[in-house]
Amino acid sequence: MFKLSEEGLNYVKSEMARYEQKQSAIIRALYRAQDENGGWVSPEVIQHLSEVMDIPASHIEEVATFYTMFNKQPVGKYHIQVCCTLSCAMAGGRELTDLMMKEAGCSKLGETSPDGLFTFSKVECLGSCGTAPMLQINREPYIENLDEQKAIQLIRDLRAKAGK
Amino acid sequence: MLQCTINGKELEVKPGTTIIEAMKLIAHEDIAHYCWHPGLPVAGVCRLCVVEIEGNPRLQIACNTQITDGMKITNQSEKVKEAVKWGLDFHLINHPLDCPICDQAGECELQNQYMKFGKYDSEMAEPKVKKHKVVDLGPRVVLDSERCILCSRCVRFTDEVTKTHELGIFNRGDRSEIGTFNGRPLDNKYSLNTVDICPVGALTSKDFRFRQRVWFLKEHQTICTGCSTGCNVKVSYNKEGLFRVKPVYNEQVNGYWMCDEGRDVYKYVNKPARLLDAWMTTAGRGEWLHPLTAAKKVGEFLRAPENKGKSVALVLTGQHTLEEYEALISFFKNEVGTDRIFHWVNNPESMNDFDGLLIRGDKNPNTKGLLETLERHGIKTEWKELIDGLSTGAIRTVVVAGPENQAVYPDFKAKVLELSKAQKLVWLTACKNEELERLQGDVTLIPLKTYIEKDGTFVNYAGLRQTVKKGLTVVANAMSLVEVAEAFKGVDVRPEEAPFKVGVGRVNNEATLQRGSL
Repeated sequence: MFKLSEEGLNYVKSEMARYEQKQSAIIRALYRAQDENGGWVSPEVIQHLSEVMDIPASHIEEVATFYTMFNKQPVGKYHIQVCCTLSCAMAGGRELTDLMMKEAGCSKLGETSPDGLFTFSKVECLGSCGTAPMLQINREPYIENLDEQKAIQLIRDLRAKAGK
Repeated sequence: MLQCTINGKELEVKPGTTIIEAMKLIAHEDIAHYCWHPGLPVAGVCRLCVVEIEGNPRLQIACNTQITDGMKITNQSEKVKEAVKWGLDFHLINHPLDCPICDQAGECELQNQYMKFGKYDSEMAEPKVKKHKVVDLGPRVVLDSERCILCSRCVRFTDEVTKTHELGIFNRGDRSEIGTFNGRPLDNKYSLNTVDICPVGALTSKDFRFRQRVWFLKEHQTICTGCSTGCNVKVSYNKEGLFRVKPVYNEQVNGYWMCDEGRDVYKYVNKPARLLDAWMTTAGRGEWLHPLTAAKKVGEFLRAPENKGKSVALVLTGQHTLEEYEALISFFKNEVGTDRIFHWVNNPESMNDFDGLLIRGDKNPNTKGLLETLERHGIKTEWKELIDGLSTGAIRTVVVAGPENQAVYPDFKAKVLELSKAQKLVWLTACKNEELERLQGDVTLIPLKTYIEKDGTFVNYAGLRQTVKKGLTVVANAMSLVEVAEAFKGVDVRPEEAPFKVGVGRVNNEATLQRGSL
């Protein structure tokens, strides 16, 4: 069963106090819980938040399924979200995704590589068209102005960082 | 009070009235809408109830706009008609046109609104989005997501009325779907109301689906006899019997809703559950008799000088009408000469329960009426006296009336055993029962009418008197207690029949018989 850490719990409580309605804190709480749950929002996470925040589970599930930033399936350590909207797509975002997936050993979008490190998603515009093509790993700052070499190097660096 | 004009009609409304309320409830004007429901909070999501307000350049939704003084409103203008028409087109983008196999067909708001306001040539070339079909939502409800137009009435119902919060709208855009969190069942005591308020065929009742097309059904308004609340309901029936029960609005009693238990009450009215003729054992041999013959024989026995008096007991349940109590009690008091009249309480420990919304622990429609009648006749007895009288032999004959709805009488078997100690047992009952059929000795069973088949008055928990009218006859020979009391006196009563008789004529295809000529 998932449970927020004590810090996480305090954070959720303080967010609830910040808004007029506690429903407004759902997104914040989901982000925090997703981070603590290894990158995805499981039904247990929603159940736990429902109890902690005293909001019906169906209402939290509504928010979690509405926003694509919440993963409803388990993801690898690095969830690589490649922008494939217009500017990035024209600058080769989709081809880069294929290339990186091959390098990381992922056969399909949304599937995690066998070593458990990488999951790829194509996402809609992240608002950095001037630096296309670009991507975002988990909730870290953007990685921009990609090319083939940079992309492959990125995967290798991440793998080295994870010690595999 | 505020003055306003709706489609040329001058109206006076209270401050705070929304345009749609004034339109539908006061001016009785036709207005297209899906998501608005008078018993639910306003959502404003279907955008069909648009109206034109003089001086306002844009169309407004009637459900969420309050009337101000001097407002001039119309929904007859070309601008409104056009908006509604294309609003409908958007609702139908992903709607599968599976009306031929949809249970809602015939009472579907999409069909109705399309015929009234739509009639366009669709300009959609995109393929329809596929969603989940035949989702088992709970013990009573089935969901077809593709048919859903996301009006959110059912979601608001579970949020605001039952406050159980099971339902939600998940995902986004044209992938949005109604559902429950993590596949939890939609399991509350009022879940079938979501089926009633669903304007399309997305939520259907497991009990009713695929059993009848609605255009083969007639409706009859009556009172639910499932508990002492006395919800106003309408039953749908045809020549094969009753098929379903739906609530009818009554502000004083049930508002717009009714409980799921009450929707099962109709089942015992149908023929398979009913006692069709009288059964009488004389000298150890049983025979089927016409109920009138049997009742007259019982009457002769009761009025005979050697059997009259205090050795006769009458047992009544809270399941009959005031008129019936009056007739039967008068007969026993005046003609038989006994005041041993007992009230059979089916669930004394939960009698005063209330769930806060509609369901009450007293599972009889007329307990209050029975108590009133007994009091007026000055009868005060306790069940213990009956049991003592039976064991000492002071009570030899017992006449029992009811119950109609045996399912809410958990002590039925025990009571049959207790009462079978009587030398002569007369059981007036609407439904057959194994326990009764198994009884040995001098037993008479006489078939009674159910609440659908007779006129009468019920007094609900709050003392409100509500009348039921006879709508249909299921068992032709069955008698009401009033008729039984007459027959006991020796009168040749013919059981009065309702205008509609079940099981007569052709079944299944009744509409073809009623079809006019072109």
